[in-house]
Amino acid sequence: MTAERAALSTLLRPVRRRLGVAVALQAVSAVAGVVPFVAVAELGRVLLDDDGIDHGRAWTVTWLGVAGLLVRLLLLVGAGGITHLADNDLQLDIRRRLVDRLGRLPLGWFSARNSGTVKKTLQDDVTAMHHLVAHSLLELTAAVVVPVTSLAYLFAVDWRMTLVTIAPLVLGLTAYLWTMAGMKTQLTAFDEAMGRINASAVEFVQGIAVVKTFGQTRRAHRRFAEAADGFGSFFMTWVSSMVRPRAASEILLSPVVVLLTVLLGGACFVTDGSLDAVDLLPFTLLGVGLTAPVLALSYATYELRTARMAAERVTELLETPELPVPERPSAPNGHRIEFDAVRFSYDGENEVLKGIDLTLEPGTVTALVGASGSGKSTLASLLPRFWDVTEGSVRLGGVDLRDLPPDELYRRIAFVFQDVQLLRDTVSANIRLARPDADPAEVEKAARGACVHDRITRLPRGYASVVGEDARFSGGEAQRVSIARALLADTPVIVLDEATVFADPESEAAVQDALTELTRGKTVLVIAHRLATIAGADRIVVLDGGRIAEQGTHERLLAADGMYARMWRAHEATAERRPAATPVAQAPAQEEERVR
Amino acid sequence: MIRQLFAVVGPDQRPVLRRMLIALCAAAVLQGVAFALLVPVLRELLGDDPDRVWPWLWTLVGASVAYGIAHYASLLTGYQAGATLSRSLHHRIGDHVSGLPLGWFGPEQVGKLGQLTTQNVMDIMGVPAHLLRPLITGFLTPGTVVALMFVFDWRLALAAVLTVPFIVLVYRWSANLARKADEVRDEARSEAANRIIEFVQHQPVLRVFGRGPAGHRALGAALENQRDLGRKVLVTGVPGIVGFTLVIQAAFTTVTVVGTYLALGGELQVAKLLALLVLAARFVEPMSESATLGSSLRMARNALEKVEELLKVPALPEPAEPASPRDSGIELDGVGFGYDGRPVLSDVSFTVPPRTMTALVGPSGSGKTTITRLIARFWDVDAGAVRVGGADVRDLTTEDLMSRISMVFQDVYLFEGTIEDNIRVGRPDATAAEVREAARLAHVDEIAARLPQGWDTKVGEGGTALSGGERQRVSIARALLKDSDIVLLDEATAALDPENEHAVQAALAALTADRTLLVIAHRMRTVMAADQIVVLDGGRIAERGTHDELVALDGRYAAFWSERSRATGWRLTGGGNRPDASGSPESGPPESGDPAGRPDPLTAPIR
Repeated sequence: MTAERAALSTLLRPVRRRLGVAVALQAVSAVAGVVPFVAVAELGRVLLDDDGIDHGRAWTVTWLGVAGLLVRLLLLVGAGGITHLADNDLQLDIRRRLVDRLGRLPLGWFSARNSGTVKKTLQDDVTAMHHLVAHSLLELTAAVVVPVTSLAYLFAVDWRMTLVTIAPLVLGLTAYLWTMAGMKTQLTAFDEAMGRINASAVEFVQGIAVVKTFGQTRRAHRRFAEAADGFGSFFMTWVSSMVRPRAASEILLSPVVVLLTVLLGGACFVTDGSLDAVDLLPFTLLGVGLTAPVLALSYATYELRTARMAAERVTELLETPELPVPERPSAPNGHRIEFDAVRFSYDGENEVLKGIDLTLEPGTVTALVGASGSGKSTLASLLPRFWDVTEGSVRLGGVDLRDLPPDELYRRIAFVFQDVQLLRDTVSANIRLARPDADPAEVEKAARGACVHDRITRLPRGYASVVGEDARFSGGEAQRVSIARALLADTPVIVLDEATVFADPESEAAVQDALTELTRGKTVLVIAHRLATIAGADRIVVLDGGRIAEQGTHERLLAADGMYARMWRAHEATAERRPAATPVAQAPAQEEERVR
Repeated sequence: MIRQLFAVVGPDQRPVLRRMLIALCAAAVLQGVAFALLVPVLRELLGDDPDRVWPWLWTLVGASVAYGIAHYASLLTGYQAGATLSRSLHHRIGDHVSGLPLGWFGPEQVGKLGQLTTQNVMDIMGVPAHLLRPLITGFLTPGTVVALMFVFDWRLALAAVLTVPFIVLVYRWSANLARKADEVRDEARSEAANRIIEFVQHQPVLRVFGRGPAGHRALGAALENQRDLGRKVLVTGVPGIVGFTLVIQAAFTTVTVVGTYLALGGELQVAKLLALLVLAARFVEPMSESATLGSSLRMARNALEKVEELLKVPALPEPAEPASPRDSGIELDGVGFGYDGRPVLSDVSFTVPPRTMTALVGPSGSGKTTITRLIARFWDVDAGAVRVGGADVRDLTTEDLMSRISMVFQDVYLFEGTIEDNIRVGRPDATAAEVREAARLAHVDEIAARLPQGWDTKVGEGGTALSGGERQRVSIARALLKDSDIVLLDEATAALDPENEHAVQAALAALTADRTLLVIAHRMRTVMAADQIVVLDGGRIAERGTHDELVALDGRYAAFWSERSRATGWRLTGGGNRPDASGSPESGPPESGDPAGRPDPLTAPIR
């Protein structure tokens, strides 16, 4: 709880002064808000004065009341305006800080998360804090100042009547607090029941095609219906356990009951002569208004809770440790890449890489080969620093990657992966990503190199077309734009996933041509899937269970007759298999029985 | 809005809602009566004989008790209505959605329905308890008070009534301002949200190409725009808020000033004036409160509209007199189809004779997937007909049609549960032995052997993630267990690693043997093996025939074939050697070994 508060106050620091001013204005406005009521009561005193009516005083009091209303309104708008504007600026500030933090997190952090979740924190959670910043403080101020001011005045008028007036309030608030007691656990249960509905709705929609084609619509529907019933009955139990005390407190706090109490008590005192009837007026006016601000505060509990939880998530993201930046950056000497006794584990328990020693000489192509789970993708992902090694080190030009400032590293390494990432921006801005200052001629040269220039010129606005709006690319075309980007970046080292070429069966050859252009004369690390593609590599590294099983050229590995040779033979067998008479079938499979 | 609410909840829930509305109105009017009784009470107390107050006070006690009862009843029915509302809404949504055509269930619907069944239903549940009450109280109570004021002093009552049109006008005006402001803000918000998602999803590229934290210009601009618009909305919104409060205060001021004037002139009893002033001061509150409900009202209305809209989506019509297919042949006859008026297929005709294989080939967007979906009746055609075994699919019951078709698509959905549960979906009454046999044929037993808890391993949402190839094997096992005559297959474009590739091919071989097969083909080997190849382009059939016929034709298919063949010879070489890109059809058929489809840290860093 205290940690939560501290986190909140850190978040709010940039607008603390403005919030202070707003609270002060709100306090004055709350006092001014009491003035009109006092004025009406005082007007009564003037009008009922036995010595005759003082006209001047009557008008003064009337206009004072009107002035009080105006002052209240002005200050109220002022205070609200300040907090809302402060909230608006704070949102930008927090979002910028979040974006900045995101840009410094290890890339691996993102693979464990869904972009929707991050968007939720950045956009929805920051928005959800609105109530906390813009309203809660002000409501709290009013909830304190209005009753205190009113009670002070009422006590000055008549202390017995004051006690009578607050009697139903005390009872009502006690009942109210009682209903709030189990709130926290109930709300957790509520969220859980909601979560179940959401999950079953998602399952319902996602699975519907399966379910329908297998004639089991009822099944998924039943799960959803169960979740809905579960929620319905939970809500009913919760509500019915609460409805009596809740109703009692609401009725006790209602203006009607307060009014009745004041009038009954007042009538007793007036008829027994112990109270001047005029003195009853302030109680009918102010007594009824005592609870409204307190109730407003309590109605906002849900928003406040949402805002608090949102603030917690925002803080958590802001405090996620960033990828360490070297204190004393070193400059690499050349582009030789060395993996030195590299060990790596995603979760700290299961090692994915178990001691890899590997050197990539400048200007050579190295292919990583191995079954899925052998660690080849993980090994390649260490080079662009998606993750940092658990043990050992990866060096570029003799410098540990962790001692290189990120921009130095990325000036030397580019990658081309299977899922293309184009921004919703102009085509030329996408190609220019690494070098925003590149001139149009250079952009065009890169596009030509990637065999995509002709396609781009056919777009409605050519290079100025916006991706996703008037530039709609097929998988292979998008892939070639991303290759053009890497071409323009012109880094000496390229990390490449060979699967890239399968992005679009229709334009495989064009992507291949682009890759050929990209890798010319570069140091290349390629994750290989089709052995034929990389048979000509300078070195083939065969990974097995996180270790290097063997390495060498295609010919030497075949001669060694080890794991690679076995894989090659299996590959050859697949490649040379002529299509059988039965569709998509392999000879042995044809003999297999069908399931009845 | 009340009408919408009644429409959405369905007939069963209407009586509860009606009871609640009556209780609410009664409570609001009784509250007004209790307030108005203040006038005679104060008049007597301030008058010459305070003891004459008691009859009035007892009346007040009676009104208060009645109010208490009505209020309690409205609370109780309100919460009840909320709870039963959630249940009936969920069931209505569930029932309706399960009858919708499969085509409706796009990926965007997943998020929407999740939102609809939680947030939006919540918003609607709150309507009786949290929205109708303040609204009804906000208008009925002052209304009652003003009406009763006429009994005590018509001049002040008239002064109060005269202010009403202004209040209404200004209320409308400020509500309109607020709505416009919200629209502007929402737009800026969704633009920024999209940029955030882009920033997160493209983090590797942004990072590696040197665009660090400060680098994504578009995101920075979107965030700033959101702030600026937010500020503008606040500034333009102020007159609305001030205006409404001001006009209500003006109403109070008018009554006070007129009253003071009358009292000073001796035309109005002072006690009466004071009582009326107390009333005027107090009934201002509920009205200004109802002004702050504007945004919740819009939210609830929005939610109601969404539910209404969903319930209006027409369900797939079922035939009155179902036909029955005579065999497993498929026929498309002059089929035309489009999404939202954008034509996707036009005049597509071909037949797939029973127990033969037809391959669909064509660039992305040419309509391949749409054809398979029309056969499974995801949608109904706009023109022509789709026939299965000679019967129009629209004349078959959904159950009958579905029992004849197995679909193996690229995106395979796994339910929460064990692998065995997931296979059994294919035929719930299958014996354990049959399930195991299907699993064996689809090479799912190998997956089970690898997993820590074997067959009992939980998969699907929140369970162990299976790779793309493994999921596809499970879906093939389902289809094997189902054992239908027709198989619609979308071959994986995504790369599979060699061992998965092998297993999937073997599983498919078991599934497709001796069935009517329509396949969206990506592998050349599959295409070559087909009895018939249909080449699609822009929603029309460009060419049709066997592989040899089409190659001889030297048209689109031949061009496609030579391009694919060129791709197979490609090599990535080091040491300055240039890749050999001169592969030709003669150099052997294209291979199909495809790499990993498993989401790994490199190829699919962010979803």
